[in-house]
Amino acid sequence: MLPSGVFNRRPQQDMAIVRTRAQWLLLAAGLVFLFTLSLYMSEVWVNWLITVGIYAVAALGMHIMTGLCGQFSMGQSAFMALGAYTAAILGSRYGLSPWVSLPLSGLVAGLGGLIFGIPALRIKGFYLVLTTIAAQFVIMWFIKQFDYTGATYGLTLPAITIGGSALDYTQFWWLTLGIVVVMLFFTKNIQRTTTGRKFVAVRDNDLAAEVMGINLFRTKLLAFFIGCFFAGIAGWLWAHYLLRITPDLFTFDLSLWFLAMVIIGGMGSTSGAVMGAVAIMAVDKAVPSLSDVVQRAFPSLGFQIPFALGLILFAVLVMFFLLIEPKGLYYRLERIKLYYRLNPFAY
Amino acid sequence: MDDILVQGFLLGGVYALVALGFILVFKSSGVLNLAHGEMIAILAYFLYQLLAIWGLPAWLGILVAIPTGALLGVLIDRLAVRPLLGQPFLSVLMMTLMVSFLLRGVRYLVWGADSFTLPFTPRGQWDIGPVNVIPATAISFVAAMLIFVALLLLFRYTKVGLSMRVVAADHEVAQSLGIRVKRVFSISWAMGGALAAVCGVLMGMVYTVTPVLGQTVLGAGLPVLLLGGLTSMPGAVVGGLIIGLVQALGSYYRPGGVDVGEIMSWVVMLVILLIRPYGLFGEKRIERI
Repeated sequence: MLPSGVFNRRPQQDMAIVRTRAQWLLLAAGLVFLFTLSLYMSEVWVNWLITVGIYAVAALGMHIMTGLCGQFSMGQSAFMALGAYTAAILGSRYGLSPWVSLPLSGLVAGLGGLIFGIPALRIKGFYLVLTTIAAQFVIMWFIKQFDYTGATYGLTLPAITIGGSALDYTQFWWLTLGIVVVMLFFTKNIQRTTTGRKFVAVRDNDLAAEVMGINLFRTKLLAFFIGCFFAGIAGWLWAHYLLRITPDLFTFDLSLWFLAMVIIGGMGSTSGAVMGAVAIMAVDKAVPSLSDVVQRAFPSLGFQIPFALGLILFAVLVMFFLLIEPKGLYYRLERIKLYYRLNPFAY
Repeated sequence: MDDILVQGFLLGGVYALVALGFILVFKSSGVLNLAHGEMIAILAYFLYQLLAIWGLPAWLGILVAIPTGALLGVLIDRLAVRPLLGQPFLSVLMMTLMVSFLLRGVRYLVWGADSFTLPFTPRGQWDIGPVNVIPATAISFVAAMLIFVALLLLFRYTKVGLSMRVVAADHEVAQSLGIRVKRVFSISWAMGGALAAVCGVLMGMVYTVTPVLGQTVLGAGLPVLLLGGLTSMPGAVVGGLIIGLVQALGSYYRPGGVDVGEIMSWVVMLVILLIRPYGLFGEKRIERI
């Protein structure tokens, strides 16, 4: 909602992603802040930021698939694995430059998404969710089975080099941030195009959408393709960040993390997906210090406290949002903004 | 070869029991309880706690574990699932998954990553006619079939069963007939939980109780559920037997030199979803476009 007295006089104003000059300035300042963040933050936190960025890209894909088009997926991490393994195989076995394998990773993951998205035409609801769960296990089983994909030991891949030297963590954060910004812009932009509006129409009522002349099959598959393409890009980033990937990284739990990021951030909001990624990773970051406290309080629990606490905190966080705040962080933020904008009036 | 087939067949009976737990809850409340696998696992660990650490006799331990399972089911229903009544299905599905995360976290916190065998697991082999069977699997199969028959009778002849069938057919009609729908939800969750406890005992005998038991069970139960159709109890049994046989054959023949037993159930599930999403015996109520 716009502040009192401000109107959109031209269609371009209504469509603009960044509306006012103040917002442009804030955006530029924010970007500069984020880019320079790696210069004065400790290495631990920059590494955390890189992981947040990687997960945010995958969560954005999830947002396009689930939030915009309503095609639920619980197999996002398997598609991420497709991207990561494409990068690793092309990089280590064929010596391809990472910049060539970047689009290829996305494409392979997208094609995988197309294959498992085909049932989406016939089935929806939790039948589709179950298909994607099956996709998760089938894909990961195939990766684990063959020596070509490194079986259970995984693959190592060469680091990205610029001018002969490998990227250090500062430069990798710049790379991550660059990709996140491009992906964010792409996601924001797609919502203003015909394709994005088709997605929303299919989500809200697919029968009505079809009657209006939208090709359901193509639209749903496109949503799957784009969502999994994002996952592939995230996988490419992750693979080059870790430099060694194993099948154990791409678990079913991780897929649920991505879904949870979209739910916590708020279904159908782009910035929500990023907020969800930050929120979940913040909780994840808090786990080790918290588990120390628990360890000291209950010395008899000597087992796997960090792992167990991570599961419990994650579950409690998502449950909280499902029960108390089902519209997510984005909605709450909008309410707060609205409150200050309208103050002292209630509406 | 015969041994393999019989073993697969018997294991299929246990899978059917897992799927029955899903069906009991799904039929009446329309919630696909993805926490069922973890419920089974945590109850198996609880039973281990009763028997090995607190030293209860086996029969008493099982008698305590089953009501505990029922209580767990009711608690999950009241605290986690019922507040989401009327929400989109994804919220409910996600909620049951989060319950399973919570249970898994608690389990790791209390029992760590230990794995163990239940103390009363029978050992050795039984020779029945021409085939050798593993006793734990055979006992589980018999127990599973007994429970299946008992459930069939319950749904057919008792008032509770009748009210559950009405609720499954239509919530509003049930309410207008004077059936307390919420109480039926509680009853079916309690039964699902009790069944999870029984599954915990049987699965703990068939497999060792390991930290990944929950996922193993879920991986076996979901394909069976879909193969049989989401609401059909005989479907679950037939589906369970088919999946058990397919897994056994996949492990036996090893096409291409790899053990495909583990993945066969998921592949069967994918194929079923592609060609016949409502399963072998399910109602053709699936939303089509």
